[in-house]
Amino acid sequence: MEYFLSEEQKIIKSLAKRISDEYVSKVAIKYDKEGIFPRDILDLLAYTELTGVYIPKEYGGFGGGVMEMCLVVEELSRNCAGVAVSYAATALGAYPIILYGKEEQKKKYLPKIAKGELIAAFALTEADAGSDVSSIKTTAEKKGDYYILNGSKHWITNGGEADVYVVFAVTDKSKGPRGISAFIVEKGYEGFYCGKKEDKMGIRSSSTTELIFEDCKVPKENLLGREGTGFIIAMKTFDRTRPGVAAMAVGIAQGAYEHAIRYAKERVQFGQPLSSFQAIQHMLADMYINIEAARSLLYSTCRMIDSGAKDFSKESSACKVFASDVAMKVTTDAVQIMGGNGYVKDYPVEKMMRDAKVTQIFEGANQIQRNIIASEIIKEY
Amino acid sequence: MKILVCIKQVVDPEKVEYNVQTKTIKRNAQHLMNNPADLSALEFALRIKDVNKDVHITTLSMGPVECESKIKELIEVGCDSCVLLSDKRLAGSDAYSTAYALAKAIENLGNYDLILCGESSLDGETSIVPPQIAEYLNIPHISFATNIKVFDLQHVEIERKFKNQLFKLKVELPALVSVKKDSVFLRLPKLSLMIKALSYTPQIISLDDLENFDFSKVGAEGSKTSVNRFVEQSFEDVKCEIYEDIEDAQIECIANLVMRFL
Repeated sequence: MEYFLSEEQKIIKSLAKRISDEYVSKVAIKYDKEGIFPRDILDLLAYTELTGVYIPKEYGGFGGGVMEMCLVVEELSRNCAGVAVSYAATALGAYPIILYGKEEQKKKYLPKIAKGELIAAFALTEADAGSDVSSIKTTAEKKGDYYILNGSKHWITNGGEADVYVVFAVTDKSKGPRGISAFIVEKGYEGFYCGKKEDKMGIRSSSTTELIFEDCKVPKENLLGREGTGFIIAMKTFDRTRPGVAAMAVGIAQGAYEHAIRYAKERVQFGQPLSSFQAIQHMLADMYINIEAARSLLYSTCRMIDSGAKDFSKESSACKVFASDVAMKVTTDAVQIMGGNGYVKDYPVEKMMRDAKVTQIFEGANQIQRNIIASEIIKEY
Repeated sequence: MKILVCIKQVVDPEKVEYNVQTKTIKRNAQHLMNNPADLSALEFALRIKDVNKDVHITTLSMGPVECESKIKELIEVGCDSCVLLSDKRLAGSDAYSTAYALAKAIENLGNYDLILCGESSLDGETSIVPPQIAEYLNIPHISFATNIKVFDLQHVEIERKFKNQLFKLKVELPALVSVKKDSVFLRLPKLSLMIKALSYTPQIISLDDLENFDFSKVGAEGSKTSVNRFVEQSFEDVKCEIYEDIEDAQIECIANLVMRFL
């Protein structure tokens, strides 16, 4: 389908596709099996300048937006969502700085993130605060020129690998969500440790860890925005990065669909290829319809966000929910079409089905996304 | 330092089609690719530029204007400028004529410190164009290099592997070095250079732009060799054979393969 991407966007997509097909595809199964962080692929993305596609030109990036970031994520995910999420998690860590960073903070961090010299991460979730963001317990107490952070974060993508973390902590408990603030915490700060690494079902090449703060001293100039704006920073960031999860889902679905088609044309049963059976043809047709619908919604949402629209929470949630549900359905059907070969690790669709599951869970479970959408549409009518 | 890299646009061997009547390869623009050995030569040029910022890399190609789209890919990896020698009078040129035309183009383009070529082209596989260019230009030539380093501004060091022996040579510039294919692989393009390539147009020159050019030396008429006979070779389908005893199987399998291709 023709999506009328600009010449520059077509180049970004083709370059990401090339890296995905020539490099990511060759390491995807090994990295998944052994849980290897794809630093070599991130280095390639840095060399080709794809790490800076969504970062403004004045800070050394390409000057694109959410669309450009999603095009890269989509193509990487066609072969390995674990690699894609390692890339996308840096965007999740960089967006709060792009949106709310002071000039000095932007100048300090964004050019290095654009060049791939720094990997970023976003640290919001806690053991008892997932979708219920306002329940976070990590505290930040101002003492002289520092904020002292105490607490822990869970399931932090790029944990242990990132150089820069945007960490959310409570600065005034009495104010509820308005008492949350965001801080830039660098790897190596006193009192900042990386905890347990999660052994996950999917996206196994990405790193997901616990973060621990024990009297961690963060310079006061590392406060993002103003005190008490952390909740807004998190929500506005998610509005821009949820399409990234949708892109990941579309990419996973596209990859599984391509494997299923090739297999259906090659695998012979009852004297004819699987692709000649109408039961299989209808599954393939449904895959195509769903993937194109998800991609259309994703690209439309990206264009809306990049156009400068002010409110797009509903659209951002909708594309994440739809695309992730499509990825789950398509990868499950791809495994079904490939039968026993789909269920074993010799073919990549087994991995893709495991990878797809997390897109329905992270950056706000699909149930919470439906709450956001419902609340918006009820307000509108 | 000025480096010139000769890069041929060849037809992708997986998509190649022949014109049996004219005994030539059909050069469909969609099926063209940059010759892999030449891209290894280009990678060496780029590595020299990585550590010597004042290096200027120009590529020189010879072929129809359809080659332009492939030439743009050379800008995407970091070439400074690209030249395409395109003239219908060159059609049917053999290796000898090609070398003459390229040498005259190099002479007219200016003085180059280092000229790099791939060892051979995928479609011709003659390996004689690089030494012939050097002969025409009257400069030293080293073939089948596996590594090239700039020693100083007057010399380059070449590594050359031959029958499991490694030779290290130093040559005074200007010189021409042909590079062994697969000795290095061309780097990935950069996004900013790909955007630059969008609006880049290679310099296209014709034989009329070349001074002191002897037109009788090029084209089918001017070539020293011609295709005498054209035979289409068909291969029987490769079959998968399964052996139980691994050692015996390996010996038998290798023996069968050897016999098949003798």
